[in-house]
Amino acid sequence: MTGQATGDMAVSYSRQPSVRGRFFTAKRFVTPVLVVLVLGILLLWLSSLQLDSIERRTLNIDYIINRTREHLGLTIVASALVAVLAIPLGIALSRTRSKVVRGIVLGVANVGQATPAVGVIILLAIVWQTGYTTALMALVIYSFLPVLRNTLIGLQQVDESVRESARGMGMTPNQVLLHVELPLAVPVILAGLRTSLVFCVGVATIATFINAGGLGDMIVNGLKLQRYPVLITGAVLVACIALLIDWVAGIAEDLLRPRGT
Amino acid sequence: MTGFDFSRLLHFWSQRWPDILGLIVEHIAVVAISLLIAMVVGVGIGMLVWNRPIPRSVVIAAAGVALTIPSLAMLALLIPTFGLGWTPTVIALVMYSLLPIVRNTVVGLREVPPAVMESATGMGMNQFSVLLRIQLPIAWPIILTGVRVAAQLTIGIAAIAAYVAGPGLGSYIFQGLSSLGSVNALNFALTGTLGVVILALLVDALFVTITRYTTSRGLRA
Repeated sequence: MTGQATGDMAVSYSRQPSVRGRFFTAKRFVTPVLVVLVLGILLLWLSSLQLDSIERRTLNIDYIINRTREHLGLTIVASALVAVLAIPLGIALSRTRSKVVRGIVLGVANVGQATPAVGVIILLAIVWQTGYTTALMALVIYSFLPVLRNTLIGLQQVDESVRESARGMGMTPNQVLLHVELPLAVPVILAGLRTSLVFCVGVATIATFINAGGLGDMIVNGLKLQRYPVLITGAVLVACIALLIDWVAGIAEDLLRPRGT
Repeated sequence: MTGFDFSRLLHFWSQRWPDILGLIVEHIAVVAISLLIAMVVGVGIGMLVWNRPIPRSVVIAAAGVALTIPSLAMLALLIPTFGLGWTPTVIALVMYSLLPIVRNTVVGLREVPPAVMESATGMGMNQFSVLLRIQLPIAWPIILTGVRVAAQLTIGIAAIAAYVAGPGLGSYIFQGLSSLGSVNALNFALTGTLGVVILALLVDALFVTITRYTTSRGLRA
């Protein structure tokens, strides 16, 4: 019952893939143009303000670059770990005939989806420690499940008759997996990875609560010190990063999709 | 670093039960209000744009952008204008709910077979009553699925809104963080998190029932 809703959730993050052959459509450039425009407006607005000493301490290039680097670092390391861990596990799990194992995995995945990220990250900080490693752990745990689930579902949705014809052509089970099932599952797996990337940008923002840096620092400082320019700069930068990462992932999705699917 | 003690947790719950109940009610209220607003706005937008290709893709792309923005950033952007508390929380939750609701409305309205709509027109219905009396009932289960996805999203996001003084169980999670190292830190955070998870699962189950009883009788499987 939860499967339906979360299934749609995964889809809701990935948009319609572009038609092959028309790779550079006008739509392709909407996101970067929007991001540049927003950043330009932000810069203009900031340069028109008279910043006080507190604001100047955070609204300078060095500080912003460092926070952005922390943010991207967390996001990318976590997503890479998830890809390396969750995809092979999903493939291994799809090999088992046992319905119980799959049921448990999908059930856990659904409960995990319902768990608030902020709860996961703060619970981990309480039982373990605060800081970068904990934040990384939380990010991995949180985005592990969508990728695992999409890998399983992607492999499962391959048509039984396709598998049979591959076997009929004399392919071994491993060849069927490698040459038929996996290529057909790639779009679904990539959609899962894209979702997890966007999740990671969001969760990395709340990593600031447990002292793990990132652009969330700017939002929280801006809020606590009542310095709205700092708050807004942080929020706009995070939003732009999320949009750009989603955009890049979308392009990767189109490029990596095997031909013919 | 706090050890976990189940009897302590039970004691914690029994002591603070009214408090916890209040937070649960708040959490449900803020999600319900947001979903209702999002449903009216989202289904309305969907009905306006479903057969106009350009506005349709613009609306869906804009809602997609809103969903991509991390929740803390979205809340932060709303604070200078709307202050703290319920208002920015409800606005943020509505923004996140729009994509699933608008998209599912559009998909649902478009999936109605043209033959069905033609027969309705043939019976003398105008375009508006076809939309309201034929397409909307047929699309309803799909629209509700969108609302259900939105509910799952917003229940989780509402937890973060506690940071900007929003209502709900999130405040216990943050209280756990701020009392880090004390006896009840884990109890606070665990209660908040578990509450949100259970709430999300219950609401999801509730939607199965709602879908069943609000779907037009002729369409029920």
